[in-house]
Amino acid sequence: MAITKESSVEMAKRDLAKRLDIDVEDVKKISVSDRDFPDMSLGAPVDGEMAAQMISSGWEIELNAKGKNHNYRADKYQLRLHNFKGSNFVIDSK
Amino acid sequence: MNRNNIWIHVGIATVIITLAAVLGQIDRWRSALKTPVNSVRVERKVLVEKRSASAPEILVKFKPGTTLERIKSLAIGNNDLVTDHIESVQGLTVIDDLDNEDAQAVADQYAAMSDHVEYAEVNYQIKLDDPIQKQDTRKAFFLDISGPQPNDPHFADQWALNNLGNDGGKERADLDALEAWLTTKGSEDVVVAVLDSGVDYTHVDLKSNMWFRPEGLAPYVDEQLGTFNDLNGYNGTDNIADPMDDNGHGTHCAGIIGAEGNNGEGVTGINWKVKIMPLKFLGRGGFGSTNDAIEAINYAVDRKKNGVNVRIISASWGSTSKSKALEDTIRAAGDAGILFVAAAGNDGSNNDRRPHYPSNYDLPNVVSVAALDRTDNLASFSNFGLRSVHVAAPGKAILSTWLNDDYREASGTSMATPYVSGVAALIVANEPGISMDKLRGRLLGSVDKLDVLNGKVETGGRICAANALSNVVKRHIH
Repeated sequence: MAITKESSVEMAKRDLAKRLDIDVEDVKKISVSDRDFPDMSLGAPVDGEMAAQMISSGWEIELNAKGKNHNYRADKYQLRLHNFKGSNFVIDSK
Repeated sequence: MNRNNIWIHVGIATVIITLAAVLGQIDRWRSALKTPVNSVRVERKVLVEKRSASAPEILVKFKPGTTLERIKSLAIGNNDLVTDHIESVQGLTVIDDLDNEDAQAVADQYAAMSDHVEYAEVNYQIKLDDPIQKQDTRKAFFLDISGPQPNDPHFADQWALNNLGNDGGKERADLDALEAWLTTKGSEDVVVAVLDSGVDYTHVDLKSNMWFRPEGLAPYVDEQLGTFNDLNGYNGTDNIADPMDDNGHGTHCAGIIGAEGNNGEGVTGINWKVKIMPLKFLGRGGFGSTNDAIEAINYAVDRKKNGVNVRIISASWGSTSKSKALEDTIRAAGDAGILFVAAAGNDGSNNDRRPHYPSNYDLPNVVSVAALDRTDNLASFSNFGLRSVHVAAPGKAILSTWLNDDYREASGTSMATPYVSGVAALIVANEPGISMDKLRGRLLGSVDKLDVLNGKVETGGRICAANALSNVVKRHIH
């Protein structure tokens, strides 16, 4: 089943809570916006990954936890965490 | 590596090697009996699943003279398993670390074997981490222009081929396709490999221009991965060899190169006639691993060496990850006479300072491509680089083929790249004997100079099909 804007937010909150070892309720959604990304890794490639260089539409999700904002990116095929401690992560891929 | 359970690991490795050998022999028996290729899929599935189940993998380039026996011995000594050889690059070997140790540490361990090893690098797998497309229904209209104009109903919207200044465009900010088509409209003898997410080879506007393996050409055999049912091309992403596109990106790029022209359907490629060879390594999400790209290029080189006239690989993808193994494989493609056209990237940044690969590999067969909009300006997203990006081509709001007989507009250096590949194919159609070096030189030496590209790309110009075919350098000054 394809990822939706709503499901991507919930997945992102769960992922961040797990990463920071906190309750999901302690993760706050700051914003969710439509965005064009530079490529099909949503501008968040992981090491050794190659991505189609086509402008791709998706959603940008800003979450806050422990006083810090975190950036997630999603489209119908994938959810990624951008620049978390200097690295990108693929959270889900359909 | 953990040596505590060394004999258990050695035992597992021995069983796996034996199983692979038995399956390989079964395959040879099947080939001898002319077993239909469909049944071979099962055999490969077993091997690939086994390979992907054992991570991490290391790409090791052994020095010339290092025998296969020695390589295997070194691997076994490290409790590792040789899983594949990249045939087009001598000594390049894929090795599985059966201990699941830190991949970089394993790579470093091989790199330290300087008597036998040139380099070793992590073969990154794209794994899940646990803890502008606008569909547009187009109206057909025709314009009175001299030259061979195709009857494809959306041709008037293909500003990259013939820009009349409509929709905010600039007249003649295009590839001069009409003039080029006076010389040639392409040839079925020219094969362009689209290294991408696959191609919808059933698309009504593509199917007649798709490459398929000739009857006289044996199926592709990789010693380690097995026999491929490569009737329609290559797929390195899953357990079958069907290169059907499940994303759309590769189909879009294929249509730019060679949607059938003058067939009364949809759009036209810059080649009315050509053969598109799909090499699938990007998955449904439009991303993939470096190793799968290497395997796919290796396939194209093999087919070329077996008589298929693959002259160009079109690569509308990339990232900032550098891989010596990928670079060596692209060099091997060049040695086989294959031009490698690569997207410069969409970060709006300078590739001279922040390299983008594979477009930044300084190889004699690589052409790096930036994107232009319909006013001949560098697209806002396009990367550039006076030393590292060679040419520009139309890449914004490009209409082409999509999955399920559809058509879409898309933007990116992804779209500019196949226009350059397509012009290269036209040149080869017109001059079948042209060398790879001369082909690249012709592309770069026949651009239309643009002021906005001064200091942005090496040639300072946009690719021009008419110039390239008439071998007139810089005739059109815009």
